[in-house]
Amino acid sequence: MNNALVPVKSDESLGELIQLVSFNLDQEEYGVDVLKVREIIRMPTVTRVPNTPHYVDGVINLRGKVIPIISMRKKFGLMEVENDKQTRIMVMDVDGELMGFIVDAVSEVIRISGSEIQPSPAVVASGIDQECIAGVINQAERLLVLLNLEKMFSQDEKQVFGSL
Amino acid sequence: MPPIDCEDQELLEGFLAETTELLEKLDDDLVALEKSSEDSELLNRIFRSIHTVKGASSFLGFDLLVKVTHKTEDVLNRLRKGELLVNPEIMDVVLEATDLVKILVSDIKSGDIQEREIDGTIAKLLPLLSETAAVQPQAPPTEAEPKENGSTQSNPAEQAQPIEPSAPAPGPDPSAVTKPEATPTPPQKIGGDIVPKKAATPIKPAEGKGEDLSDNTTVRVDVKRLDDLMNQVGELVLERNRMIQINQNLQQGDVNKVDFNEEFSKLTKRMNFVTSELQMQVLKMRMLPVEKVFKKFPRIVRSMARDLGKEVDLQIFGEETELDRSVVDEIGDPLIHLIRNAMDHGLETPDERIAVGKPRVGTLVLAAVHEGNQIIISIKDDGRGIDTDRVGRKAVEKGLISEEQLSAMSQRELFDLIFLPGFSTKEKASDLSGRGVGMDVVKTNIKKLNGLIEIKSEKGLGSEFILRLPLTLAIIQSLLVEVEGEIYSIPLSSVLETLRVDQRQFHLIGGQEVLKLRDMVLPLMRLQKIFNVQQHYEQNDFCYVVVVGAADKRMGLVVTRLVGQQEVAIKSLGNYLANIPGIAGSTILGDGRVTLIVDPVGLIDGGEGGSGR
Repeated sequence: MNNALVPVKSDESLGELIQLVSFNLDQEEYGVDVLKVREIIRMPTVTRVPNTPHYVDGVINLRGKVIPIISMRKKFGLMEVENDKQTRIMVMDVDGELMGFIVDAVSEVIRISGSEIQPSPAVVASGIDQECIAGVINQAERLLVLLNLEKMFSQDEKQVFGSL
Repeated sequence: MPPIDCEDQELLEGFLAETTELLEKLDDDLVALEKSSEDSELLNRIFRSIHTVKGASSFLGFDLLVKVTHKTEDVLNRLRKGELLVNPEIMDVVLEATDLVKILVSDIKSGDIQEREIDGTIAKLLPLLSETAAVQPQAPPTEAEPKENGSTQSNPAEQAQPIEPSAPAPGPDPSAVTKPEATPTPPQKIGGDIVPKKAATPIKPAEGKGEDLSDNTTVRVDVKRLDDLMNQVGELVLERNRMIQINQNLQQGDVNKVDFNEEFSKLTKRMNFVTSELQMQVLKMRMLPVEKVFKKFPRIVRSMARDLGKEVDLQIFGEETELDRSVVDEIGDPLIHLIRNAMDHGLETPDERIAVGKPRVGTLVLAAVHEGNQIIISIKDDGRGIDTDRVGRKAVEKGLISEEQLSAMSQRELFDLIFLPGFSTKEKASDLSGRGVGMDVVKTNIKKLNGLIEIKSEKGLGSEFILRLPLTLAIIQSLLVEVEGEIYSIPLSSVLETLRVDQRQFHLIGGQEVLKLRDMVLPLMRLQKIFNVQQHYEQNDFCYVVVVGAADKRMGLVVTRLVGQQEVAIKSLGNYLANIPGIAGSTILGDGRVTLIVDPVGLIDGGEGGSGR
C-alpha cells in the first residue's frame, strides 16, 4: 500500500505549500494539515465512556491529560477491524480541544501546493460526510482525501456532545 | 490623629495592603506620565489611585493623609481636565506629595502615628490650584457644599476654574468621596454586628477595575506558607535521591530481595507522607477566607431591607473559614439568591412581625464552618418559614407536578419543590424575586460544586438552608467501585453508606427496584444498566449497594464490588464529552488508566432519562 508514496517535489510554485500528514483508513489515503496534528501515538488502554455516540471509543490518559478517542472507521461508517501493530492514534487539535483519532496507519508527511487541491467529486465513499472533505489531491499515482477537522463533527453532533 | 478601633484592625490591614500596592504602582505611573503626558488613560489611573487612597483614609480617619491626598487629587484632576499641563515642576510637587503619603502610610503601618509637617508640601500644591483660579471664584455654593469635608483649608470655590466646563466638575467627584463618611449612620438601624463591614463596602466602587483584575489572577501567599512548601519540596528531593539510589543498587544487583523490599517500602511510606503534605500545602495556598464572598452581603442586605421596607439584623459568623478559590468563586451567586429569598419570602415586614409577637427586627444569620472535608454554610432567618401547603398548591397550579404526586409527597419532597425551575409563590415577579429562577440557580450551582442542600423550616418560625460544599474541587476523596470489570469512582462526599446485600432482598415497585433500608425505601439504580456495561462475571446473588445522597435525595447504586477509597485529582473530559449524564469527570489511577467519576447528583436527577439508553 505504501509503495506508491513518493514525497512530492514542491516547486510547483502555484499557491502556497501545505504540509499534510497522510494516513490510511480502509485502503484509502487521507491527509490532514500537519499543523493540526499534535502527536501520533500507539494504542494505549482506552477507558470506555458510557452513553456517548458509537464512534467515541472512550478516553485515554495522555501524560496526565484526559482526551477523548474517536474511531475514524466508526465515524465514517467503515467496517470495524481489530487493532494491529500499524494502528495509531493521531492526537489532533480540533477547535482548540485535543482529540485522538484511531487510524489504520500513519504513513508520512507530504508537501503539496494549494493549487493541487481539487474539489471533491459529488459522490465519495458513502459513509463519509461530504462536509468534512476539504478536497481531493489527485496526483499521478495516488489519490488523497484532504480532511477538514473543524467540520468533522456537524453542528448537530456537537450539540449531542454538548447536551447528552 | 484619632486612633483606630481594634475591631477595625482587619479593615486597616486591608487598607494598608491596598494602599501600599497602589502607591507602588503610582510611582511607576507618575514617572511614565512625565514621559508621555498625553496618555489620558494613565492619568486617569493615577487619579483613581490617589482617589482611592483618599477615600479609604478619610473613612478611617487619617486626617493628615486625607489632606495631602485631597490636594494631590485636585492637582491631578486639573491635569486630567487639561487645565494644567504636565511639566517637571508639577511632577516634582506631585511626587513629593506621593512620598509624603508613603511616609504617612508607613507611620500607620508601624502603628506609630505622629504629627508630621505636611503644610510645606501642601503649600507647594496650593499654587497649582489657585494660580488660575482667581477668575471665577463665585462657583455655585450648592456644588461647593458637598465637597467640604472639613479637611481642607482652602475654599473649594477657589478651585473652580475659569474654564466653564470645569465648574460643575467638583460636584460628582466629592459626592463619591463623601459617601464613606455618610454611611456609618444608616447601619445603626440594622444592628451592631455589621457596622464595620457595612461601612467598608462603599469604598469598594472606588477601587477601580485594576484591583478586580489582579484579584483573580494573582494570589497573595503568606511567606510562612511558602517556606513550608519549600521545606516539603526539599524533602521530596531527598526522597527522589533515595529512590535513584535504591534503583541503582538494584540494577547493580548488590542487594538481596529482603533488603530491597524493606528499603522500598520505607521509601514508599515517606514518599506518601511527603506528597500528601505537599498536597495539603498547595491546597492551603489556594484557600481563601469565605469572607471574600460574605463581605458584600451586608451592603446587599441593607439595600434590600430598604427596598422591601423590612428591618433586618444580619449576623455573620465564621467568615474566616477558608475554602478553595474555585469554590469561593462559585458560591457567591447561590448565596445571594438564598439571601434574597430569605429577605423577600422569609422575613416579614415589621408590622407583620409585631402582629405575630416577634421582635420587630428580623434576624438573618449567615454562618460558615468547617466539618471534616466539607464546609457548611447556613443561611437562617426567623421569618415565616416555608408554607408547604402553599408551595404544593402553587406547584400543581403551575403544572410542575400533578395532584397525585403532591399527595404522595413527604415534607422533604415538598421543600424540594422550591428548587424546580419556574417555581415561585409570588403572583408577580418583582425586581428582587418571583421569576422562579433564583432557587434553580442555587441548585444548579451547588450541584456543580458537588454540594448538598438541606432545608430545615418550620412554619412561622423561620427556615434554614444548609449548604454542604467540598473544600476543593481539584482533589476529592472517592470510593472506587467495580462494575462488571470496569472501575468507576464515586465522590465520597456524596456517599452516605455502603452495604453488601443479597439481590433477592430487592423489591420491585412499579418497575423500579428498591431496597428496604431500615425505615426507608431506597430506590436502586444499577450502574451496569445505566452505563451499559457488558456482563463480565457470572450472575452473583450478592452485590454491593452504595447509598448516595444529593441535595436532599437518597439513592442506592448497585455495583459488583467495592475496590477501595482513594484520593483522586479530577480531570475534565474536555468540551466534547463534558455533559455525559451520570459522569462528572475523570481521573487517572496509579497505573495510568483513566477512570470515570460518577456524578451521583446527575444520576438522581436524570435517573429515568439516563437508564433508557
